[in-house]
Amino acid sequence: MPRHVACVMDGNGRWAQRRSLPRTAGHRAAEATVIEIIETARSAGVEWLTLYAFSTENWNRPGTEVDYLMGLVRRVVRKHAPLLLARGIRCRFLGVTDPRIPRELAQDFDDLTTLTDGNRGMTLTVAFDHGGRRDIVEAARSLIRSGKRADEVTEHLFAQHLPFPDTPDVDLVIRTSGEQRISNFMLWKVAYAEWTFPDVLWPDFRAPDFLACLHTYRRRDRRFGTVPPRTNGDPR
Amino acid sequence: MTTDTSRTHTGRADDEPPLFGEGSRFHSFFDDPRWALAIIRATVLEAAHPQIGAALIDNSTFVAHPWRRLRNTFLSMRRMYSGDPAVREREAARLNRLHARMSGADSRGRPYDAMDRATRAWVVATLFESAVTMCRLSGQPLEQDTMERMYDEYRAFLAALDGDAGELPESVQDFWTYFDRVVEDELEDTEAARIILYRLFDHLPAPALLGGAPTLWAAGRAVAGPLFGAITVASLPEPYRRRAGLPEMPGAETLMRGAYLAAGLARFLPEGWLDAEKVVELLTLSPTGDDPRARTVAALRGRMEQAAALLRLITPLGGVPGPAPAGARGSRRPAEEFFRQVLDQTGDGHLDWPDLAAMARELSTRLDLEEPEETRLYDAFAAWWRELQDALDTDGDGRVSAAEYAAAVPSMAGPALIRVAEVLFDATDKDGNGTIDADEYRELFRTAFHRDLATGDSAYGRSAFVGDFVSFMSGGRTSAPYDPVFTDS
Repeated sequence: MPRHVACVMDGNGRWAQRRSLPRTAGHRAAEATVIEIIETARSAGVEWLTLYAFSTENWNRPGTEVDYLMGLVRRVVRKHAPLLLARGIRCRFLGVTDPRIPRELAQDFDDLTTLTDGNRGMTLTVAFDHGGRRDIVEAARSLIRSGKRADEVTEHLFAQHLPFPDTPDVDLVIRTSGEQRISNFMLWKVAYAEWTFPDVLWPDFRAPDFLACLHTYRRRDRRFGTVPPRTNGDPR
Repeated sequence: MTTDTSRTHTGRADDEPPLFGEGSRFHSFFDDPRWALAIIRATVLEAAHPQIGAALIDNSTFVAHPWRRLRNTFLSMRRMYSGDPAVREREAARLNRLHARMSGADSRGRPYDAMDRATRAWVVATLFESAVTMCRLSGQPLEQDTMERMYDEYRAFLAALDGDAGELPESVQDFWTYFDRVVEDELEDTEAARIILYRLFDHLPAPALLGGAPTLWAAGRAVAGPLFGAITVASLPEPYRRRAGLPEMPGAETLMRGAYLAAGLARFLPEGWLDAEKVVELLTLSPTGDDPRARTVAALRGRMEQAAALLRLITPLGGVPGPAPAGARGSRRPAEEFFRQVLDQTGDGHLDWPDLAAMARELSTRLDLEEPEETRLYDAFAAWWRELQDALDTDGDGRVSAAEYAAAVPSMAGPALIRVAEVLFDATDKDGNGTIDADEYRELFRTAFHRDLATGDSAYGRSAFVGDFVSFMSGGRTSAPYDPVFTDS
């Protein structure tokens, strides 16, 4: 079972276009999937779930769509806060530094983080206004500020300066809609991740699809760069 | 006059309780909740004296930092009533040095001087009178001989400060004549008294521990503030209320008596349940400190924050959210905020010499400085004030407004400020070897800033120390060590 699963929620716009609906309708339809996947992951025993909700590049989308997204996210966060608390899910938000994020939304993010801080069930990280390179640059800055000498810096030490250093490496990334790109997502943490690219668009992505991805992962042979062990029987 | 002090110190039978220390009347009031009400009343009576009122308005930090002020006063009183004469003398000398630096003129140009003997006698008189009144109002009046002994204690207190108690009448009978005369003739409706009665409680900042629950604090304050005001007004002497034009509200008298009576009921609590020192310490605890109690309260506060967060999240959305940008995050604080939290110690909206003097006073109290270091520190702050005045006071009114400050933030770090940091460094560098070693550093933070430092094996060099201090004072960068000293309310 993967410890840390990440989902790149792709295909909302296409989902809406195929139905001749405005792109915003696709985002609205994504809400149901988000809740379903959180619940499925939790009951399947995934300990860490990360959802890529909004990238630093998404700011380039049309202003109306961005505004709509901000309002939608705010409504979703508020609507499901009690549920997340009751399910023992610890929520936190990765990124959220851009001044364009409405103050009310940032407040809600903070509130949800505070509210669920004591939960010890699954940890849900929502990457919002996130960029993998930016995180690495920030880590480098923080490292330099800490005054470490160059030869003291190790991968382990560097990882300590990334946001949420307690997060383990990502084991499995699910990118819906068939697109096969990394799109600047948690670059450091996905170093050894397995990737699956189901053809389903995110609003159509359901619990069975998610479980199928977990199943695919279990059949993968994760070697982390070494050779496979020579066994005659069952490889795992 | 002097014969009198010798009587209070030596001419007593051995079996009588001492005037100072454990067993004195004063000592038994320390943990009495009525004393909280009586102290407010005494402070109003003090502030109603034109000289004291003017001195308070000019110099005191009690509006902006009431909790810190309360703690300092409490600790000072405790030392003054300590059983150890050496502690008393040291504290008296410190108080005298502190007050010797306070003099000036009030808004009508009348001079005041915190060393004026008659005025200082009045401070002690209000404390004594409030203690007696608090017993009367709570329905447990003092016996005549208890009152006399308590009066002796208060006179001894004044004698410890002033050398003798000549400004206070010798007997309790004469005291009441003196007290009524001052109330009738000298007290005025001063600005300071009005601030204590009407502004202090309405704007009382939350103590550090409750800083994370501003809504709760504001709600409690909105109810309790006017209540405290009304109780205090109703307990003031009638002639003064008439003179100052204070309102007579129906029911205020009953409320006041009820409050004193209820507080007086605390005497039925088991011994040791109420400990003023613990309360005061708790009020001034910093939530980030290492104290286990702070952690307990911090945990409790965490629950409250969670409840508040849930409440905010489940309240229905009103209207369309505005596109307001998120506030500037990060370690630089806005100039306005720095001005309000750190520089404007007296809370009058202007930066003035008393603000910097208050900083020097706070530092020298926390660091327990003796002469001549204390004077060096004050001199350094005075030089810094001149530098600031020259650089920032553009409209030439002798003080620096928040706007003037904001317009010229970078010029704060002049040579005089560096001099302040150096004096501070020298005071800490006890062995004078040019670095603050681990022990000195820990000592500095433990005594001055009430926190234990996890790091501290490396020595802290003079330039690093000066650099940190200057960047805190000028750039407005938040700094874990210095923040609690100047910003804690």
